[in-house]
Amino acid sequence: MKKYAYLNTGKHLMLYGVLFCLPGIAPAGFLPEEIQLHGFLTQGFFHSSDNNVYGQSDDGISPGLTEIGLNAAYQPFNRLRFAAQGLYRRAGAVDDSSVRLDYGLADLTLLTYKSGQIGIRGGRIKIPFGLYNETRDVPFTHPTILLPQGIYFDRSRSLLRSADGGSFYVDQRTNYGNFAFKFNVGAPLGNNQEIRSTLLGPNAQGEFNAQPAIATQLAYEINGGEYIFAVSYMNLELDYRPSAGEPLSAGKTHIQPLLFSAQYNGEKFTLTGEYDYRWNELRDFGPRISDFKSISESWYVQGSYQLLAQLQASVRYDVFYANKDDTSGKRAAAFGLPNHIAYANDWMFGLRYDINSSWMLRADYHRIHGTAWLSQADNPDRQLTVQDWDLYGLQVSFKF
Amino acid sequence: MGTFNLPQYVYDKLLINCLLAGIVIAAVYSPVADAVNIIVNQTVPVVQYSLIDTRAIFTMQQRFWPDGEPIKVFVFSDNNPVHKDFAKNNLNMFPHQLRRVWDRMVFSGTGAAPVQLDSEQEMIDKIANTPHSIGYLTGKPNNEKIRIFEYR
Repeated sequence: MKKYAYLNTGKHLMLYGVLFCLPGIAPAGFLPEEIQLHGFLTQGFFHSSDNNVYGQSDDGISPGLTEIGLNAAYQPFNRLRFAAQGLYRRAGAVDDSSVRLDYGLADLTLLTYKSGQIGIRGGRIKIPFGLYNETRDVPFTHPTILLPQGIYFDRSRSLLRSADGGSFYVDQRTNYGNFAFKFNVGAPLGNNQEIRSTLLGPNAQGEFNAQPAIATQLAYEINGGEYIFAVSYMNLELDYRPSAGEPLSAGKTHIQPLLFSAQYNGEKFTLTGEYDYRWNELRDFGPRISDFKSISESWYVQGSYQLLAQLQASVRYDVFYANKDDTSGKRAAAFGLPNHIAYANDWMFGLRYDINSSWMLRADYHRIHGTAWLSQADNPDRQLTVQDWDLYGLQVSFKF
Repeated sequence: MGTFNLPQYVYDKLLINCLLAGIVIAAVYSPVADAVNIIVNQTVPVVQYSLIDTRAIFTMQQRFWPDGEPIKVFVFSDNNPVHKDFAKNNLNMFPHQLRRVWDRMVFSGTGAAPVQLDSEQEMIDKIANTPHSIGYLTGKPNNEKIRIFEYR
């Protein structure tokens, strides 16, 4: 069934047309200089030997990932800024086209001094998590098509995308490097079907609602970002509302990821590593799902080298265990699911070609052992998923 | 038939002389590139700035001059040779490090990117006519409204 093997041409053409006209507007003087406009567009194509990623990629080519982002920033006063970004996204069966406010915030600089600043933001704010989360949908800001999925899950991205609330931030420059601290409180958004199946299995029917969550990050950069270190922590609580007649009761889920990040940025060579340690707790779901605590573990190491001025090659090894005390998936097997749903080890080789400062083309190849981060919507029958599989991706992106 | 043998040190000396001559010729005939200078509008306060201050200005993290006026930053595109020279020699950074910081701010709503210009003439016009502005240029500016930005 090649359900996704076509492009919704009319709609796309219109969106592309709008996007390509925009870069001309600002320089042509139609906008006052206090307003900045930027945007990006990306189209991904996927093929896999088994299992589906962003649509029907198994035995076919899925053009299943399209993202268009458009943002504007307006600074009416020196210390007050407004910024908003709309995001159109189509991602396989997980998201069959949606337009959302990705962020929309007011930023007030409370204090500015020679070596730093302190401020607050309010509204819908991107969640600071690791090196890439705040710009996870912007292809130009990371080296490969897919971010390491053990940490930057795409299937449960609504928990990581942005949150409605407030943020307090401090930037401090010293002779030994720059510190950036963020403390955010807000309710994460979104459709949580993927999160539900991740936590309760594919048969659960109710709804999860996220409570206001804490997301905080301390980053330290040496020599203008040659070395970057960061620690990120989130405290998420999800309340479950079972659907009528469902054999589950109104339980609670508590998730606390603690993520350590390090990166070296040389002239041509970049080395990146991140390690995520995540506490998970399920409680009060009734007799079907007993109270359960587990620790998820994920890490990756990634090296990138600039082969030519416009060509970068990357290699990454990415490991994820849904429960570090059950790395072979015995618990999944006890629930009648394939044991490989409990882990995913991914070797990735990627090439990125920057055609110019606006256009970029890249290709990824993955050899994956395990199915832990596959989306439920694209793989409704888990028995049909295969433990060892190949994934090929091709992506074209534009920004202004 | 006698073989023409010279002692080894003669060959060594010849080699060194040839190398030296090559370096001298290369130095004389290669076009001497003017250094890139950071320039500011004359309204910018004259105080002691450090490399850390200068980086913070161009990464858009220091947003106000010491007199409280907002800083206006102008740059060239990432691929522009003057921009590359500026990033490496004036900021001691790589262009991709600047790009990373700007993109992250622009696309997460936490900050703004500098205004990008296309030519050195445009840079001179902008810096001359925009109070509180900063940019860079090959060589020395020939305009009374512009001065070279001194740091450390």
